[in-house]
Amino acid sequence: MISASGEQDEESFIPSTLLDSDDDADELSRDWSHIAKLCKSQVVVPKRGEKDYEPDGTDAQEMLLYRAKKAMFDSLSDAARGAVVKNLIKAYYVPELHRGFVSHPKGSFMHTMGRVDRDGVCWLTFHEFVYLAERGTISPYFKRADRQDHELDPPMSIQDLYLLFKSPQECDDFLIYAHLKRLGFIVMNTPEATLAVGEPSSKLRPRTTQTLSSLAKEALQFLRIPTYHPLQFHLTRYTTSGQIYEALNKLVPFYAATKTSQSTSYEECNKSEVVKYPKFTFDVWKPRGSFKKKTPGLPDFQILILNKNSSDYKFPTYSEMKLIFANLSYDAEELTGASKNGKPTEGLSGSKKDKRFAKQVPPHIEQQRRLKKGYRSFVLAVMDDGLTSFVKITEADFGSENVWFKPSSQLPKARPKIARGKMSDASRRSNI
Amino acid sequence: MPKYIPNAKRYKYPLPIHPLDQLPELIPHNPVSWIHWLYCYLSSTNSLPAKIHVEFSSGKHITIADPKEMLYLWQNGFFGTAQLSRSEPTWKQRTLTRLGLEESSTALEHVTEKRRLQRLEFKRERAGFEAIKLNLRCQGVAETEILRQEREFLKSLREREVVQLKESEDVQLRSSDIELFNDDNQLMELEVLELMPVEAIFLTFALPVLDMSPMTLVRSLLGDNPSYNNIHDLCIMYVAYHHYRSHGWCVRSGIKFGCHYLLYKRGPPFQHAEYGIMVLNSDDSFDYTWYSSAARVVGGAKKSFILCYIELQKPKDEILRLWQNGQFAAVFSSYKVGEILYRRWVPGKNRD
Repeated sequence: MISASGEQDEESFIPSTLLDSDDDADELSRDWSHIAKLCKSQVVVPKRGEKDYEPDGTDAQEMLLYRAKKAMFDSLSDAARGAVVKNLIKAYYVPELHRGFVSHPKGSFMHTMGRVDRDGVCWLTFHEFVYLAERGTISPYFKRADRQDHELDPPMSIQDLYLLFKSPQECDDFLIYAHLKRLGFIVMNTPEATLAVGEPSSKLRPRTTQTLSSLAKEALQFLRIPTYHPLQFHLTRYTTSGQIYEALNKLVPFYAATKTSQSTSYEECNKSEVVKYPKFTFDVWKPRGSFKKKTPGLPDFQILILNKNSSDYKFPTYSEMKLIFANLSYDAEELTGASKNGKPTEGLSGSKKDKRFAKQVPPHIEQQRRLKKGYRSFVLAVMDDGLTSFVKITEADFGSENVWFKPSSQLPKARPKIARGKMSDASRRSNI
Repeated sequence: MPKYIPNAKRYKYPLPIHPLDQLPELIPHNPVSWIHWLYCYLSSTNSLPAKIHVEFSSGKHITIADPKEMLYLWQNGFFGTAQLSRSEPTWKQRTLTRLGLEESSTALEHVTEKRRLQRLEFKRERAGFEAIKLNLRCQGVAETEILRQEREFLKSLREREVVQLKESEDVQLRSSDIELFNDDNQLMELEVLELMPVEAIFLTFALPVLDMSPMTLVRSLLGDNPSYNNIHDLCIMYVAYHHYRSHGWCVRSGIKFGCHYLLYKRGPPFQHAEYGIMVLNSDDSFDYTWYSSAARVVGGAKKSFILCYIELQKPKDEILRLWQNGQFAAVFSSYKVGEILYRRWVPGKNRD
């Protein structure tokens, strides 16, 4: 596991999040031989390597496979297991509320999970309850309604807990929750309140701008007619290819991605009131030490869960996606700021480094990164009989970017700028 | 053999309509230069001296037969696909080389063929070594020793390949080659350039390059009285094509990668396509498997997968009316384009 995280660090130097991650290397295979080192027998096991094309009659392949399998089983069976009775945390499931509580909470899980009430009792959502029980952090008990004390509350097994899921949907949600938790993410239920951000106030203003812009569009259309006239290229003279492109690219209107918080209001009022749209289930944060349950800040990802085999769900259409985007909680500054650096700014030292890089990046590379990265996004978790796959749906905006090639002779201004940037950078370095 | 032309010069213009870039220099303190400039400005034109001849061959294939015009469309915006080549019309050149009538060419098809032969040779050698390996294993030789031998074998193979590259090729003749020549003993022009319907619309409607009017073109594509659905299907494809073309992308068919279009930044000779476009109606919703398989194919070729949603913003009968009147600009501008980047999200890669 240790080595796996080391690999991860190396990979993150390449802006892999910008590339379409579909190469074989992304499935992080677990090398069980590292865990095996922790267990009693201390066997050194070779990593599972490449397969041969077909059985060759010798046992070389079987031997490799056997050793790797054995490492896996040994690590599970030989390791010292169990819990110290003193550290045992008893948690009780309350059937009426469909949640659990811990009366004397302790442990690091409190950092990201549970909610402590006035009496110092930590309330866990059912997901948290099952997850912690699966990990062995808490031992689950069934709270009997007829008794105040916990003496006679029966202990529960993991099977019992799974029986308590109210719907298949809840079970799906849990599987995704547990998957992301095990990978180290901080996962919380998306609060209901954020889903309906104050629309009524912003209702009037955008409509007027809409009509204005449509009027302007009409006017433009009137002026534009000669563009597609057969005599166009006899009457008008274009001195660069760029001008020809500009004449062409006014024809097809497009949705420009939202880049600031102001422009969202227009979209929000479009349909939102009546239309039913899919809702986020989880907010996800990347693992970080400074996380606070009370003030978590904006989530890094928002997860929408979709069961592929259920009849009530279907892949969102474009208008549904727009509604989902409109209901995202996101940081407008990050959209533009992050697109400049190509990476969302995280740690302090990291962001400084990124900024220095960003200065040296020529505009066309920056544009390339903007296009690859897109703008607002959410994560779709697709559940297919217990198998999860994640898809990131991002707003793209090709309409606002022009990519035609400009010969370098047409860009005399760009060059000294870059040079100056380098100069100042160098001088700053010498100052240090 | 023609002299090598650098790509930047050969593919100088991104569109078949060229800008006026031959204008003389304007010297502010020399009035004569103003007059000269003005004369040049007024006398020159953007439009082509002669439009490119296009015809419908065998039903629905939009083809261009003249070799010069084929090459012109390829070199100025990478339009069309030559029917006997990969995309650039190179069949004639390749055939002449094969028959030994001209020196070797550097057509892409040749490079591919060479690579395939090398690969075949490699596979044969490898199979031979696998047999040796198996023999060693049966004899109980240690795995490390086998690994060492394998490395040695691969190294020697590499060295041999380098030598092979330098060898020259032979002339290959087939018995049917005689039929390729006409009465004057000249190689016949068998190859034609085929345009996608959307390319043909772009080259008639948006840029007047082909000698056909947009109206005749769509009549031949859809018939005289097309239904709304037929118009719609063609329109969304064209709107997407025009959208990307007009923002400077080189758009080519994406059928090789299971999507509708591929976007090249400058063109196929310059770099690989970066995006695979799937054109959809704004209310389309398919099974997840459909999205995931399409994205896998595109992603497997290291391209980003874009869902390009086209939304109709006017009533259907108005579209029909405008279409019948030939007001294509109005038809196309009543569709709105929205784009979604579809990307697999791997939790382990997004953790820090």
